[in-house]
Amino acid sequence: MTPLLEVASVSKHFGGLYALNGLELHVDEGEIVSVIGPNGAGKSTVFNVITGLYAPDGGDVVFGGQSIVGLLPSQVTKLGIARTFQNVKLFPNMTVLENAMVGQHCRSKAGIFGALLHTPSTRREEEKIRDQAKDALGFFGTRLSGYREDQLASVLSYANRRRLEMARAMATEPLLLLLDEPTAGMNPKETLELRDNIRRMRDERSITILVIEHDMRVVKGVSDRVVALDYGQKIAEGTYDEVAHDDHVIEAYLGTKALG
Amino acid sequence: MANGALSATTSARSLGLLERLPVRRIVLIVLTVAVVTFVAVGTFKTLTLSGVDHLGWTFWANLLVIGLALGAVYALIALGYTLVYGILRMINFAHGEVFMAGAFGSYFFAAAYSRSGFLNNQPWAALAILFVVGIAISTGVAVLLERIAYRPLRNAARLVPLITAIGASLFLQNTAQGFFGSQTRGYPRPSLLDGTITWFGVSFDKIDPIVIVTSIVVMVALEVFVKRTKTGKSMRAVAEDREIASLMGIDVDRVIVTTFVIGGMLAGIAGVLYALTFGQVGATMGFLPGIAAFTAAVLGGIGSIPGAAIGGFILGVSESVGPYLLLTGFNVPSPFELRGVVTFSILVLVLIFRPGGILGAGGAEKV
Amino acid sequence: MIGRLPTPVRFGFIAGIAVVFLGMVGMMERLSTLIIVGNISMVGILIFLPPALAGWVVSRPRIEAGEQRETPMGTAVAVGASAGLAAGVLVSAWYAIVNVIGVDSVRQVFIAVTPVLMQLLHFHMGPVAGTLALVGGMTGAGLVGAALRAAPVEVGRPLTAGLAGVVVVALLSRVIAPALDQIHVSRTLLYSAVTLGLTWGGAIVVFVATAIGVRLHLGSKVHDILLPAPEDRVAAAPSAEPGMTSEAGTDAGRRDPLERGMSKRTAMIVGWLVIATLLAVLPYLVGTVVSRILGSVGIFLLLGLGLNIVVGYAGLLDLGYVAFFAVGAYTTAVLTGGQRVTFAGFKPPAFGANLSFFTALPIVVLVAALIGVLIGAPVLRLRGDYLAIVTLGFGEIARVIFGSTWAQSLFGGALGMSGITKAEIPGVALSFQDDPRHFYYLVLLFCLFAIFVSWRLQGSRVGRAWNAMREDEQVADAMGISTTRFKLLAFAMGGAIGSLGGALFAVSIGSLTIASFQILVSITALAVIILGGLGSIPGVIVGALVLIGLPGILTQFEDYRLLIYGGVLIAIMLLRPQGLVPNVRRSRELHEDERSQDQWAKHQLEEDATDAPGPTGGALV
Repeated sequence: MTPLLEVASVSKHFGGLYALNGLELHVDEGEIVSVIGPNGAGKSTVFNVITGLYAPDGGDVVFGGQSIVGLLPSQVTKLGIARTFQNVKLFPNMTVLENAMVGQHCRSKAGIFGALLHTPSTRREEEKIRDQAKDALGFFGTRLSGYREDQLASVLSYANRRRLEMARAMATEPLLLLLDEPTAGMNPKETLELRDNIRRMRDERSITILVIEHDMRVVKGVSDRVVALDYGQKIAEGTYDEVAHDDHVIEAYLGTKALG
Repeated sequence: MANGALSATTSARSLGLLERLPVRRIVLIVLTVAVVTFVAVGTFKTLTLSGVDHLGWTFWANLLVIGLALGAVYALIALGYTLVYGILRMINFAHGEVFMAGAFGSYFFAAAYSRSGFLNNQPWAALAILFVVGIAISTGVAVLLERIAYRPLRNAARLVPLITAIGASLFLQNTAQGFFGSQTRGYPRPSLLDGTITWFGVSFDKIDPIVIVTSIVVMVALEVFVKRTKTGKSMRAVAEDREIASLMGIDVDRVIVTTFVIGGMLAGIAGVLYALTFGQVGATMGFLPGIAAFTAAVLGGIGSIPGAAIGGFILGVSESVGPYLLLTGFNVPSPFELRGVVTFSILVLVLIFRPGGILGAGGAEKV
Repeated sequence: MIGRLPTPVRFGFIAGIAVVFLGMVGMMERLSTLIIVGNISMVGILIFLPPALAGWVVSRPRIEAGEQRETPMGTAVAVGASAGLAAGVLVSAWYAIVNVIGVDSVRQVFIAVTPVLMQLLHFHMGPVAGTLALVGGMTGAGLVGAALRAAPVEVGRPLTAGLAGVVVVALLSRVIAPALDQIHVSRTLLYSAVTLGLTWGGAIVVFVATAIGVRLHLGSKVHDILLPAPEDRVAAAPSAEPGMTSEAGTDAGRRDPLERGMSKRTAMIVGWLVIATLLAVLPYLVGTVVSRILGSVGIFLLLGLGLNIVVGYAGLLDLGYVAFFAVGAYTTAVLTGGQRVTFAGFKPPAFGANLSFFTALPIVVLVAALIGVLIGAPVLRLRGDYLAIVTLGFGEIARVIFGSTWAQSLFGGALGMSGITKAEIPGVALSFQDDPRHFYYLVLLFCLFAIFVSWRLQGSRVGRAWNAMREDEQVADAMGISTTRFKLLAFAMGGAIGSLGGALFAVSIGSLTIASFQILVSITALAVIILGGLGSIPGVIVGALVLIGLPGILTQFEDYRLLIYGGVLIAIMLLRPQGLVPNVRRSRELHEDERSQDQWAKHQLEEDATDAPGPTGGALV
């Protein structure tokens, strides 16, 4: 079976610094894969290359059988890859519901004339956009639903912003969802809740997930497979336990001396 | 997992051929071809134009000198934009009015000295006073502008200070009109600077080389100041990272005020030079040189002092030589009318193709 | 240095500087012919409003330890009077200095410092009496300003509104007086027949009426806060039982204040009917002169609405918007038989057609939209502030080209074009070019259309995409929005609406010169949308009425129009960046938050209490 996403010997450098150096990575359909690694290992760069924000200097990214290198981020999203950002990026002056509705943008097509004439098909589409957006918000129970839908995103609590970002990504109806440190800055209880959310997302919505995560409890709790990066290369891959006990990984996190 | 169903969805989601079209790249390529063709054909046709004797080499040399003098003034104003942009990341749209204030303010002294004869009896002393007055007034306006209009907006969204600056530009222009009247006034020039000189068969106004030399001296002094003095180093630190600089014990407010002071001083010098060259001042005189100087700053690489100097000279020369060189060949009547188009076209092209400018690195937004 | 002074003195000095500035810039003398009440002219307002505002500001409630503290009346009066006194002293000091130097000498430089100005500042009294009157009056103004602020809301606000009402009604005399004539009410009830200012009697009537109106409104507002209004669709939802869908929650909220809802809806319908009727009869109510002004308000409303799409919705600061105004006007001229003006007379352009206005209009709009795309395409990658400057350049390029000798055979060059066909609807006896009252209806039609378009776009998928782009272009891209397409779409739509303004402008006067297409048109349109609030349609309307309508009616202000625009841009950005009439939905929600959040928090607490870590909780490392 071909993997859903395949990152094939991708390199990306900034000036003389190699953020990615011949990275190999694949994600199968229905998997939850965690990417771990120390700061500066190139984790977020992978996401930026996959989603088209950066053009790789070498290598290829194949999604669902077609190369997506050179596509614009919006086109990548349309093909079915959605993402969240490490430092939450919402549309602060839009409401929660509008944020989620923006996610539905690439699954709808009404243009100027539809908007002006309010044709039945536009109205139906708008209805569908709203329903899908509400559905995505509803994934987080009451946290983003009800009156919250009409609040501005800028007034949400930190944890809710993270949730909204995920809901917005889910509203794009992705096949693959990239989560960039989804639990960063959350308290232990919220972290646990989110860990369950990630699993539910795969189980209930059949979304394949690639997640960058620092919290090892979450990594252990959600991952089918863990990939460890350092200096833009894959240094270990396997189940959580295999990777957690891998010498290279320990070395990368703690430095050479710790092994000694 | 329903793998088959998922794969089916994946393949169903593909982009149409039209969507794969790299629109931006195509626009850029078309634009490049158009511009290069236009410049090449225009230049070729103009230079091969036969039977027009006024287009001899002295004609071009003369335009070149005029362009360099204009460029020297642009460079001085451009430095004000560049310094402020480097430190605050904002376009001080009202800087053209700072320039105008210095020129207009010194006018009243120049006019009085002209009436009393002081201007021609003691030209050097009179000129010194005119420069001091121009510098003082421009600096004052620049500092007030910073204090009243810009400082409260230090942390506002990016477009807010820009809109404020546009407002300030309009406000200052019309204040000058209210204070001093809307007619342009003739700026007296000491007879010492009147007349033309002829070098190698090329004759030009005596004032032109003076303007060029003065501005180069000022720019070298500024470069030394920024590179060598403690204040200059603080300025560079704040430009690099305002927050870290303040943690290092640098008084950021003070550095910003200093920046406006220096920008104002340079604008004052430029104002007096401009008034002496063109012989007139008016409330709206700041707008076009302001835009041109901003273009020069962008052209050279905004944030860079040598960049502003180079950009200024290039722009001045393009403005004076460009319309004739490119358009005469196409039989465009009065090409000089279209010099604004040349300025703006250069600005647009630089921003599209090399947003960092000739010497700069920034410009395009970081991810 | 001014920053180290005690607060009242500092604000007093600022007010004093403002008064001196208004005098030196010539506004005071120019406006002395504008009578407000009795024999008090606008000069009185220019002198006394700044110290009154200073008093108002220095007696504002203070935030102490997170709590808002009203300033006690005694303190307020004292600080207000000191502020006023400081202002008065500063103005008098300036006055004395000018006198010492000699008015004629000062006038050599500052042309507005005239003997008349000096007289005005002393109310035509002698040196001693004048100084006392000036300083005393300004002290009093500071005191009154402070007292109005410190007074309880239900007293202070009606009184303040009453004063403001008097000034507004007085300024609008050129609109209201002819309207009174038309409905056969004697204008002398309010206005003096000689000065066109209010009579004292009229002023008292207006003051009392406004004050009572505001007081009653305040009363209903208190009521409003206690009972949620029905169209507040979200208000009651959180109080619903957990698990209930939001729609059900809203319904539950709706049932409650049903009767109030009915009355409010009726009130709204009545309100719209009144507005519609007023709009329909307005030109015949206010007469030809004001109708002409309304025509230019409408043209700038169109420019504002178009620019609002580009700047307010899509967040692209376009300073070259005048290009579309020019494209609209010149394309209309060329297509509807406009002749180029030459020294020898009129000549047809190199390319031209003799279409009727309404046939030409779709072509004009298409051309403008196309130009929008052409302008937008090269600047797609530019960041906000660079984009502003580049578009400024495009505006200037457009002006230079339309006015150049090079394109003279097409657009008439410096002398412009003339003889543009009149806009006519076959079979309808309305003359849009000759009668401004008829032209008003044409403009009204266009404006309603543009408002409709803006409104529909705002709530659509396209509007959301624009907003997302405005908030964060990169994220919008990552969420699947083709920023290329939607930027171009914004430029095209904005350009199309702006070109409507240009087309109307061309047919309204039948001739064009390049002088009408200065960069200032762009800045004016920008000021119009900034004053009201970016992205807000009512805001654009208010902006156009205030910034185009008021100076049009008050011709004395004409010379200071641009000065005021500049001041407006600065003041709004410094004090109220969201504008005077911000996007309705947003401001309402901001208030609602607190109320609904409390209820929600309560509900959430209960839920959290039972929401221990789930079955997977045990797997914690």
